[in-house]
Amino acid sequence: MSVAAASAPSRAEVLHLYRSFLRVARKFPDYNIREYTKRRAVDAFHHNRNLSDPSAISSAFSDGKAQLEVATRQAVVYSLYAPKLKSVMEAQIPIHRSECTD
Amino acid sequence: MASKLLASALRKTLTPHAPISKPSSFFRAASTAAAAVEPYEEAADGVYMKGVKISGRPLYLDMQATSPVDPRVVDAMLPYYLTRYGNPHSRTHMYGWESDSAVEAARAQVADLIGASPKEIVFTSGATECNNISVKGVMHFYKDKKRHVITTQTEHKCVLDSCRHLQQEGFDITYLPVKPDGLIDLDQLRAAIRPDTGLVSVMAVNNEIGVIQPMEEIGEICKEFKIPFHTDAAQALGKIPIDVDKWNVSLMSLSGHKVYGPKGVGALYMRRRPRIRVEPQMNGGGQERGIRSGTVPTPLVVGMGTACEIAKKEMEYDQKRISQLQERMLSGIREQLDEVVVNGSIERRYPGNLNLSFAYVEGESLLMGLKEVAVSSGSACTSASLEPSYVLRALGVDEDMAHTSIRFGIGRFTTEEEIDRAVQLTVQQVKKLRELSPLYEMVKEGINIKDIQWSQH
Repeated sequence: MSVAAASAPSRAEVLHLYRSFLRVARKFPDYNIREYTKRRAVDAFHHNRNLSDPSAISSAFSDGKAQLEVATRQAVVYSLYAPKLKSVMEAQIPIHRSECTD
Repeated sequence: MASKLLASALRKTLTPHAPISKPSSFFRAASTAAAAVEPYEEAADGVYMKGVKISGRPLYLDMQATSPVDPRVVDAMLPYYLTRYGNPHSRTHMYGWESDSAVEAARAQVADLIGASPKEIVFTSGATECNNISVKGVMHFYKDKKRHVITTQTEHKCVLDSCRHLQQEGFDITYLPVKPDGLIDLDQLRAAIRPDTGLVSVMAVNNEIGVIQPMEEIGEICKEFKIPFHTDAAQALGKIPIDVDKWNVSLMSLSGHKVYGPKGVGALYMRRRPRIRVEPQMNGGGQERGIRSGTVPTPLVVGMGTACEIAKKEMEYDQKRISQLQERMLSGIREQLDEVVVNGSIERRYPGNLNLSFAYVEGESLLMGLKEVAVSSGSACTSASLEPSYVLRALGVDEDMAHTSIRFGIGRFTTEEEIDRAVQLTVQQVKKLRELSPLYEMVKEGINIKDIQWSQH
């Protein structure tokens, strides 16, 4: 996998990856998946916060990038098949309906 | 967009006068993407199903029945539904080769999670098929010398039913009882072994009460007597560490949809050294080394493989989180309600399963009241019947308490807020039902229910 264990990513690159995760997580229409994506990303970044070995950092970074790609694709798939009815956990939020019901 | 137009036109012709929110039409308007006909009507403020109005999709706490598919699993499966549709057994073209290598990669992923060799994994349609192959297949293969099977009273229905089938063919079956904590007594197991015992089948994690049987110890006993040991590990896969050598199992049944993988796929572990042999239940093209003929469903198998790989990576993280959530749920309920009993051992338990009995509350009424929480009173297979669970009866739970059980299943995607909401709704409902219960009132007045002489009819 880790062919070119190039140089470790910069702080800005890591932060960018982190923010991208949070952004893509919000796009999941499914309550549980959305919360999980957010939570798992935050926890993983916290867990790897003290990595010092450059090769460990770059392998965690490339793993994160691959996961982000999966999340980006699946956020699209999930929104294509989003049920109209939301989870009861989001029932307070008024449900947006694009369709007009005369 | 065209489908939307068509759908609204359809709706107008089918139900000219009915307002949308009434359950008058069995045709639901096509949703944005899927134009499937669903047997209920969705409206902005809720859905009508089975005559009940539900204000949102219930929060899902039935992980033992099935788990949601992980988006990473869907991502791995989709290519095999779209462009890589080859039959993995086709040896003459690229479509077959790429499917075949995907299947073999998945086999390695499954094997890796349980500490086995990929050559020992046979893909099947699910844990039920694995259990059938294991119980019936082994006994049929060795029927000349081995006529006896040992299993437990708390096994899954498919093991018990396979055993009943064998009984009709003249085999002897010993159904070991369990202790009140749901675990088997190892001395009883030892005592039940006969010279013609051909199989011991004990499930690893119980589907209803979540207790973890002492697998290593059972494995030791089976090794001592040289008896093949089969375990149904559908509920254990990806949740507790599994090592086929530590457990000394000869056969193990695994399922895809209990580990956030797809439904309709399972895997059977079959030990190669010492070799265990079975009579196939399905004959045909000789796939999966003739043990399970029939085309291997590449997308499903890829999904199961990915689910196992994720489970291996995430086991520690998930385990920690699920334990915290279980703790939160149990203490939340216990703080506000008295006489709540956890069914099965607390110490030797998979924390994602919380089977509770609420005294003086009838379980089905509680389930009816908990419309916003998707839970069940026991296994999904028997959820249609009002009979108390045979598993709880085997633990020696009184009939009245067995009727009051609810199984909360916590999983990877469960949130703290969901647990809090479930606790709040459960407590509210139990309090309401207990208020109506004359029995609960009598107990509060200090009358011992067990002493009451009910008038004879």
